[in-house]
Amino acid sequence: MSVVKVQPTRMELIKLRRRIKMAKRGHSLLKMKRDGLIMEFRELLEEAKKVIGGMAEKYEKAMQKLALAMAVDGVVAVKSIAMARQCEPKFVMHKKNIMGVVVPVIKREEKIVRCVVEREYGVLGTTARIDEAVEAFEQLVDAILEVAEIETTIRRLIEEIEKTKRRVNALEYRVIPSMEEACKFIAFKLEEMDRENIIRLKKLKSKKAKQEA
Amino acid sequence: MLLKSKRSSWAYIVARVKVMKRRLIPSEEYRKLLNMDFNEIVRYLEETDYKREIDELAYKYSGPRLLDYALTLNLGRTYRKIMDVSFGIAKDIITTYLKRWDIWNIVTIIRGKMAGVSEEEIEEALVPVGEYTLDFYKSLIPKEIDEIVKTFEGTPYYSVLSKVGSEPLSIIEDELYKIYYHQILKERPSEFALKLFVDFIKMEIDIKNIKTILRLKREDVSAEEIMRRIIPGGFEITEEEASKLIAMSWDELVKALEGYWFSKGLEGITDKSISRIEIKFDKAWMEVVARRASNYPLSILPVLQYMVLKKIEVDNLRTLGWGKWQGIPNEEIEEQLVIL
Repeated sequence: MSVVKVQPTRMELIKLRRRIKMAKRGHSLLKMKRDGLIMEFRELLEEAKKVIGGMAEKYEKAMQKLALAMAVDGVVAVKSIAMARQCEPKFVMHKKNIMGVVVPVIKREEKIVRCVVEREYGVLGTTARIDEAVEAFEQLVDAILEVAEIETTIRRLIEEIEKTKRRVNALEYRVIPSMEEACKFIAFKLEEMDRENIIRLKKLKSKKAKQEA
Repeated sequence: MLLKSKRSSWAYIVARVKVMKRRLIPSEEYRKLLNMDFNEIVRYLEETDYKREIDELAYKYSGPRLLDYALTLNLGRTYRKIMDVSFGIAKDIITTYLKRWDIWNIVTIIRGKMAGVSEEEIEEALVPVGEYTLDFYKSLIPKEIDEIVKTFEGTPYYSVLSKVGSEPLSIIEDELYKIYYHQILKERPSEFALKLFVDFIKMEIDIKNIKTILRLKREDVSAEEIMRRIIPGGFEITEEEASKLIAMSWDELVKALEGYWFSKGLEGITDKSISRIEIKFDKAWMEVVARRASNYPLSILPVLQYMVLKKIEVDNLRTLGWGKWQGIPNEEIEEQLVIL
C-alpha cells in the first residue's frame, strides 16, 4: 500500500486503525491455524509412513504368493481363477474436515478381504496356494485404498499449510507494516494540520490585536 | 456305462504304461535340477520327452510361460496317448477319470465369458484333456453363456449348469465336481477292476474332503458352509465323519486325523499353512496308491498311478522353472515339490 494514496483524514485514520486491529487478529488466528495444520501433518506423516511401509510389504508378500501359486498350480490355473473376479472393488468417497481442509474418507462398499467361500471360485477345484495368493492381493487392494486416502489428505494439508504460510507472511511483513505506516503518516499529517491551524489562529489573533491597537 | 464294458487285457496297457513310467524323471534328479538355473532346467528338459512341446511353442512363448505351456501340452498328449493305447474297460475308466478336466474347461469358459475376457485368453487357459476335444471347447468360446449351457443339455452337468446366473459360480463349480464324483461312485462295481478304480476315487475324495475341511476351518467358515462343499462317498471321510471333524476345534481335528489312512501327512500341522499340508497329503496319497498298485500289478491302478505321477512330475517341473525364474529360495521350492 502506498502511503501517498491515503487520504489524511480522521475518518481514514479510524478506518485504518480498525483494519490493523482486524489484520492482527487475523494474523494470530492464521498463525494458530498454520501451527495446528503442521501438528496435524506431522501426526499424519507418521501414520502415512506406517501405512505406505505396510503397503510395500503387502505388495512384496502378494507377489511372492502369486509367484508360488503360478509355480505350483501353473499359469493356466492362475489365469482361470483370475477370470473369476467379475467386478472391481467398489468404494464411496466421503468428506472430512480438518481445520477447514476438506479431505477424502474412502469407505468400502463391500468387504475387500473376503472369506474363501465368498469368493467367485470353487473350493474343490483349487488349492490353498490360490487362496493365499488371492488373500494377499485382497489385503494389498485394501492397503492401496488406505494409502490413497492418507496420501490425498497429506497433499491437501501441505497445500493448505503453504497457503496459510503465505497469508501469515503477507500479513506480518507487508499488509500490517504498510497499514501501520499509513496510519503513522495520517497521524503525522493530522498533527501537522492541527499545528498549522493553531499557528494560523495565533497569527489571526495577533493581526486582530494589532488592528485594535 | 462302465458296467457295460467288456473285460480287457490288462497286461498290454500295463506294459505300455510301465515303459512310459520308466521315462519319468527319477526323484534323485530333482536334487540336481534344484541346483540348476532356469536356462539349465530348460536345456535339461530339451533332452527329455518335453523337447517336442518346447520346440513347438518356442515361437509363441518364452521364459517360464514357454515351459508352463509346454508342460501342460505334454501332459495332455500323454493322457491322450494312454487313452489311445487302452481299450475296453481300461479306456472307459481312463475316460471317466479324465472327465474332471471337462469341468475345468467348462468352468474356465463360463468364467471368462462372465468376466468379459478375450477369446484368446480363455483359449490359453483351456487344458486339452477330457471327454470333449479342444476344438469342441474352442467352438464354445464365441457363444453366449446360455448357448454354452444348452450345449450340455442331456449331460449330467446340465442341471447344475442351468443355474448359471442365478447361483454364484463358485457353488456351481463345486457342484460340478460333486457330480463328477457322484457319477463314478453311483456305479455298482461288479468287476474287480472297477472296484479298484472306485476305491482309488474314494481315497481321492478323502484327500479332497480333508483338504477342504482344513482350508475352511482355518478361515473359520461355518460348519454348514463346509458341509456344503464336502464330497459324499469318501473312503473313510464320509459325510458323517466329515460333520464330526468339522464340529471339532483345530487341535482336536489334528489329533482326530491321526487314525486315518492318510495320517502320514499330518506331522507338523501346527502353523496352519495349508499349502504345505496339502503337499504332505498328496505325498501320503501317492505312497498309498503306489503300494496298492504293486499289490495289484495287472489292474487299472498302475495306469492311474502313472497318470497321477505324470501330473506330479509336470507340477514339480513347473514349480522348479517358475521358482527359479522368480528367484524363490531353493528351500521354499523344495517344500513345494512332491518328491516320492
